[in-house]
Amino acid sequence: MVILRAGLCPGLTEDMMELLRANGIRTVVDFVSSDLEDVAQKCSLSYKALVAVRRVLLAQFSAFPANGADLYEELKSSTAILPTGSPSLDQLLDSGLYTGEVTELMGAPGSGKTQVCLGIAASVSLGLKQHVLFLDSTGGFTASRLYQMLQAQTEDEEEQARLCFVLQLEALQQIQVVRVFNIYELLSALQELRDRLSQQVVSSMGPLKMVLLDSVSAVIYPLLGGRQSEGLALMMQLSRELKTLAREFSLAVVVTNQVTRDSSTGPLKPALGRSWSFVPSTRVLLESKEAAWEKATTRRVASLAKSPRQPTGIQVELDIG
Amino acid sequence: MQREVGTLPLAPALRARLAAAGFQTAQELLDTGPCGLSKEIGISREEALEALQVVRQECHGDAPRTAGGSGATRKCTALELLEEEQTQGSIITFCSALDNILGGGVQLTKITEICGAPGVGKTQLCMQLAVDVQIPECFGGVAGEAVFIDTEGSFMVDRVVDIAAACVQHCHLIAEAQQEEDHRKALETFSLENILSHIYYFRCRDYTELLAQVYLLPEFLSEHSKVRLVVIDGIAFPFRHDFEDLSLRTRLLNGLAQQLIIIANDHKSAVVLTNQMTTRIGQSQSTLVPALGESWGHAATVRLIFHWDNTQRLATLYKSPSQKESTIAYHITSHGFRDVQPPAVTQSTEGTELNPRKRPRTEGEKQ
Repeated sequence: MVILRAGLCPGLTEDMMELLRANGIRTVVDFVSSDLEDVAQKCSLSYKALVAVRRVLLAQFSAFPANGADLYEELKSSTAILPTGSPSLDQLLDSGLYTGEVTELMGAPGSGKTQVCLGIAASVSLGLKQHVLFLDSTGGFTASRLYQMLQAQTEDEEEQARLCFVLQLEALQQIQVVRVFNIYELLSALQELRDRLSQQVVSSMGPLKMVLLDSVSAVIYPLLGGRQSEGLALMMQLSRELKTLAREFSLAVVVTNQVTRDSSTGPLKPALGRSWSFVPSTRVLLESKEAAWEKATTRRVASLAKSPRQPTGIQVELDIG
Repeated sequence: MQREVGTLPLAPALRARLAAAGFQTAQELLDTGPCGLSKEIGISREEALEALQVVRQECHGDAPRTAGGSGATRKCTALELLEEEQTQGSIITFCSALDNILGGGVQLTKITEICGAPGVGKTQLCMQLAVDVQIPECFGGVAGEAVFIDTEGSFMVDRVVDIAAACVQHCHLIAEAQQEEDHRKALETFSLENILSHIYYFRCRDYTELLAQVYLLPEFLSEHSKVRLVVIDGIAFPFRHDFEDLSLRTRLLNGLAQQLIIIANDHKSAVVLTNQMTTRIGQSQSTLVPALGESWGHAATVRLIFHWDNTQRLATLYKSPSQKESTIAYHITSHGFRDVQPPAVTQSTEGTELNPRKRPRTEGEKQ
């Protein structure tokens, strides 16, 4: 619902605007959906001028349909599959994280979501030499743990210690960390990212392919429920930002979510409710193998809860140690 | 800036009016100006000016902000963060096994949660940390001050005096053994009176007072910039009884958690919370789990669970972003929190001596 303004297109002058407003036409939708002959008579404006303005407005504001075959070709050439650094998780996700989609990791506290995110950041930065943006809203990002993972990965491949060190430093420099502790800061950070990518400024950012958000529920939970009406709206704004970023700039977006229970004995379900469940296209649940916390273990079980490509319910074992 | 109007931090009523009038992006708002804005949506000029100021601040985010100056400085690369972490100290607990599993001690800029059954030593550890945060840097400490927010009334000053005296004694012994100039200079200021005067104590009786105290804490911390530890002893207590609306409780707790993580990050201090345990009744058995529900488990970055094994106190690291899960044993002596086997370096002889103030646990009592 964009309002009509004087400079919006070449034919639209200030006097024309005043006459249109006097007759109740204030937005673009009003203009293009009204009968132009009628408007020409009531506002005593030239019919030709109005038709020209309408053509320009339609060109600017309407969406164009695309051919299915063209869309397929475009997707084939622009989608990349990024490895997560863990072969069993890659198998679960049908060979990795797809760009252009939002993937969600959910789990109870201590189930390893932040560890998996760090592993993904390390693998994409080191293995593919791509830049990674890590949005941290819980304070759980520990650079020393990331460094440990990088060390473990480079020592497998390279022999020389000095080369390893240089590779690790480069990988660390390619991971940018932004700490966002409320929803407005998060939206602001995403907006900044969008501006930077659309201007294609080749600065410190480089080729960005991966955005990790840990965790999305920490910033949204304080807004939902009660008599606050804007919580749901903000959550949907956020989901729209994430999805359009993923699609427009071919990024893989990974978010982590919490799990809650309906009552103290009910089964675990993902947080943020039904509305959020439509946002990610793939959902993976992380669980610990042991039921109680007395037995310490680094093994986790990842099960696929929602996927557009694989059957749900398949499980793999992970080691986050 | 093509920032959508819906994503700007304005009041909901104002946002609704802007949407109805057809404004979509922040740029349109800035172009219209305050007079045009007040005419279009029917608000006073002052309100329009205020709204535009908020929009301008949001859009030009690199300009320094007044509140805490935190927006622009929270962005950095992982390499810079690694360097920061390596130079940052941690608060030791005087129990070397616990320090080891925590990765050096209680980490700054993170929230650590200690859960445990009654009597297992949560408040003891909190008091020990409030003293340990003040250890001078030459002895391996962070030389900071402490804020202690008490909701249960379990803070005993004479116990803190015992712990502080033992800590000062320990530092004296190290200084004598090593004979260095800065050690002796630091010891002049590290005395019992000094330690006690740098623990800022707040007593909160219900959840409203606790929330108010936490929201006022950033102001307090900017005046007392040497504070490196914030302890909230008993975060579960005000929220567990007399709460009819559980969804309100979840919301308040989540808001509190976000506020605490902002405090921990901006003021480079450690936040330590203590939590109670509750029973979860399953199909065939019941287990002890930390209180305040599933969603609260995500609030803390590091979670320690203290429990009993017959008469031995054990600490389990349950959740940590950088350390593996493990369990160690500890002891509480008259000098405070200590290891079960005292390390060979120091001369402490009270490894197995029980605290005369705590009643000893007998075999027959199971948890």
